[in-house]
Amino acid sequence: MNSRRLENRVAIVTGAGQGVGEGIARRLAQEGATVVIAARRAETGEPVVESIRSRGGRAVCIVTDVSVSESVDACVASSVQQFGRLDIMVHNAFMGGIPHKLEKAQIEKHWTLMSRTGVWASLFCARAAMPHLVASSARPKGEGGGRLILITSPSGVEGSANIPLYSPAKAAQRAIAKSLAREWGEFGITVNCIGPVAGSPALLTAFDRNPALQQAIEARTPLGRVGDITDDIGSVALFLASDDSSFVTGQTIICDGGSFLGL
Amino acid sequence: MSVSVLGQGKLADLLRDGVYSETRSAVIVVEVDGDRSISSIAQLTDAQIDEIFEQPMQRVIGALQEAHSMNCERIVVVVPTTGMSGGACYAPQAALAESARILVKSAARQWGASGITVNAVAVEPHWFAIDPSISGPVAIAPRSLGGDVSPVGLVNWLCGATSGDVTGQTIVCDGGLWM
Repeated sequence: MNSRRLENRVAIVTGAGQGVGEGIARRLAQEGATVVIAARRAETGEPVVESIRSRGGRAVCIVTDVSVSESVDACVASSVQQFGRLDIMVHNAFMGGIPHKLEKAQIEKHWTLMSRTGVWASLFCARAAMPHLVASSARPKGEGGGRLILITSPSGVEGSANIPLYSPAKAAQRAIAKSLAREWGEFGITVNCIGPVAGSPALLTAFDRNPALQQAIEARTPLGRVGDITDDIGSVALFLASDDSSFVTGQTIICDGGSFLGL
Repeated sequence: MSVSVLGQGKLADLLRDGVYSETRSAVIVVEVDGDRSISSIAQLTDAQIDEIFEQPMQRVIGALQEAHSMNCERIVVVVPTTGMSGGACYAPQAALAESARILVKSAARQWGASGITVNAVAVEPHWFAIDPSISGPVAIAPRSLGGDVSPVGLVNWLCGATSGDVTGQTIVCDGGLWM
């Protein structure tokens, strides 16, 4: 279904060169948003742009390193310069996540990259986007509405035995969302999180190598499958980006087929 | 046996004076700095992110590792409720508190098989100089307790032998201020 719910809106999606970010970008574009594919490498971002354009959507790629504040600032500035506005900021990019023993974890090897791309980058994106999200929310009803969406994880709620330092990085994003929801409520900006489990390239590769892993995940998931990056995860992002969610803020929507039921 | 209390400030001192256990234990008071509220995320500098979130969080990781190396059987991490509630003007502080609180769960998962329990105690924001009136509306239950709500008794219990089946949990100790 394509109802063009985001016509005239401009969205930035970080980490949109693949996986969940790509799925979100595609879904927002299907609904009429002009989407900035903020990818670390043009080699991954440009094919997504071409694919969206080939289906009649509007997209550009801006090479962005979310761990560097100047790069995030430049991405936002360039987006606004090209399209005149920014309504939706989705921070999805994330790097790191090497399995480790907590007692032997090394800051540089097991924490810094996740902290920079998860926690710091969330604050960078919020800071850079804020004035434009305020402006979007000041538009007449139905013509705007600032949205910040942070992609977290069920592990950010329940902890992780396999990658213990992954969870605190993702948990911090939820706290940032709640804090900014309080801080930005007066402007009408909503701030929410999505905790997805989806068929990202990394997960699908892992399934290829270890079919038992796929069976195990599907067995513990009430809906019996892993989420589709566009139809399942992208649609939740669409809800949070659209006017349909204008009274929803500070929340985390876990989108994993019911695997995690601990909220 | 005395309990190793890691952290600074009034709350850490209170716990240092009041917590004892026969079980080898460590209490980590996370260095959430409420004196450094920011008027707006737009004013937040990279240096502030480093000072308010990154460096204290790295010290939490180090403190947990130290507690493990000391063969502690009970580890308690103390944070303000601000991480769970969020706090306007306190985004990096809330990020730190919640990051530490969820790390407790990861640690509990990894170290449970070794007989180590790891829990979190969430206390009133004012212990960390966080102003609850701007961090968000939190008055949920009528307060029946006068003065400061002390977490000493709860931390004592979590450090003791009788709490051995409790791990990975967060217990809020604020007199019902936040639920």
